[in-house]
Amino acid sequence: MRPMDETALISSAQQGDLDAFNTLVLAYQDMLFNTALRILGDEELAADATQDAFMSAFKGLNGYRGGSFKAWLLRTVTNTCYDELRRKKRRPTTPLEPDASDGEEMDSPRWLADPALTPEQSAEAVELEHAIQHCLDHLPLEFRTVVVMADLQGLDYTEVASAVRAPLGTIKSRLARARLRLRECLQGFAELLPARMRLQGEMAD
Amino acid sequence: MNFRDAELLSAYLDGRLSPSEASRLEARLSTDKNLKTTFEELRQTRALLRQLPQRRAPRNFRLTPKMAGIRPPEPRGYPVFRLATALVALLFVVSVGLNAVVPFAASRFAPAAQPALGMGGGGGGSGGAAESQPATEAPLQAPFAAQAAPTATPEDTLSAEVATAAPPQAEDTMRALATEQAAAKAPPAQPPVAQRGAAIQPVPVVLIVALGVLMLLCAAVAWMLRSNSDRRIRSRWNHK
Repeated sequence: MRPMDETALISSAQQGDLDAFNTLVLAYQDMLFNTALRILGDEELAADATQDAFMSAFKGLNGYRGGSFKAWLLRTVTNTCYDELRRKKRRPTTPLEPDASDGEEMDSPRWLADPALTPEQSAEAVELEHAIQHCLDHLPLEFRTVVVMADLQGLDYTEVASAVRAPLGTIKSRLARARLRLRECLQGFAELLPARMRLQGEMAD
Repeated sequence: MNFRDAELLSAYLDGRLSPSEASRLEARLSTDKNLKTTFEELRQTRALLRQLPQRRAPRNFRLTPKMAGIRPPEPRGYPVFRLATALVALLFVVSVGLNAVVPFAASRFAPAAQPALGMGGGGGGSGGAAESQPATEAPLQAPFAAQAAPTATPEDTLSAEVATAAPPQAEDTMRALATEQAAAKAPPAQPPVAQRGAAIQPVPVVLIVALGVLMLLCAAVAWMLRSNSDRRIRSRWNHK
């Protein structure tokens, strides 16, 4: 979406134009859902949090006063995620067992059916995703939020800072801590990190 | 390696170091093997995170007007029919209530003052919904009127009848009772009162049935207007 279009849509939506707002929803729903999914680690909860985020974004749209709309929306969705986590903490729905079965609980993601991947590659990718999610789940919430925004959603430091309302220095340090911890955690899944992945990773940089 | 180094490496990966900071770090990386290893591991970690596939949203998160707290516009004519339904329903209830209360009151006081009661109830009831209260009060006054004149002459009874037949002038009635002169004015009013007194139910059944039908009709039209407009909104929504 071009920035001009976005600005026009936002100002229409601020005047109550629901169609304009829904155009923005379509543009951002994948990003919000993925953010919620990585913070919460549960698809259903993430979908609920995303819907709640859009509802509260529409109601609080007049509170948006310029700047990165993406960051503003991400702030809204992280807030609904925090609410969701607080609710979950008060009423735990999953038994308090060691998460040995963590890997088997998630459904097969859509891209499992990607014809470009061989069955082994798909299986590897699924396992790797589980491993990463497992490690994210074990990060303190404020680190998790920052690393999800910066590395999974590709926001720059300024956008992350405006989304979590913290100074740049804090973002830098939280991101470094999150990456360090994730590095240690992922080393526990060394067998899941085949050479192919590393090579791809280095080429991607 | 300390945390400050990790912070530098992390910022370096994101290209967030100043040129001088970057070149200093690069110089250290070329000599410090441990630092270099950590750097590579952090880079791998970051690359793994970055290539984690984005899922597609499992459903559409567009807001419906209901979710957004917006009430859809009411179809034209809907408020008129809604109001009409309410008014007709009120009339209907009052009429049915009247028909239920009046005969009951009449039968209760019948032994005390039969002639006065029939007329009192009938007179009050004929006034319609608006006078439903006087209609029920009238029979209550009737027994007193009858007891006040146990040896009543025909004129006395007449005056009592007239009194209860015109409930709003209740005070006048008492005065009329006290002074028998009032009886002289009574005869002209008597014939219509006597006629109406024969009907125990003040509102004709036909009218009540008509009111009921009208009420259902208004409600049905209002409901149809509403559900049509809702369906239009919903289909517009789903086809977007």
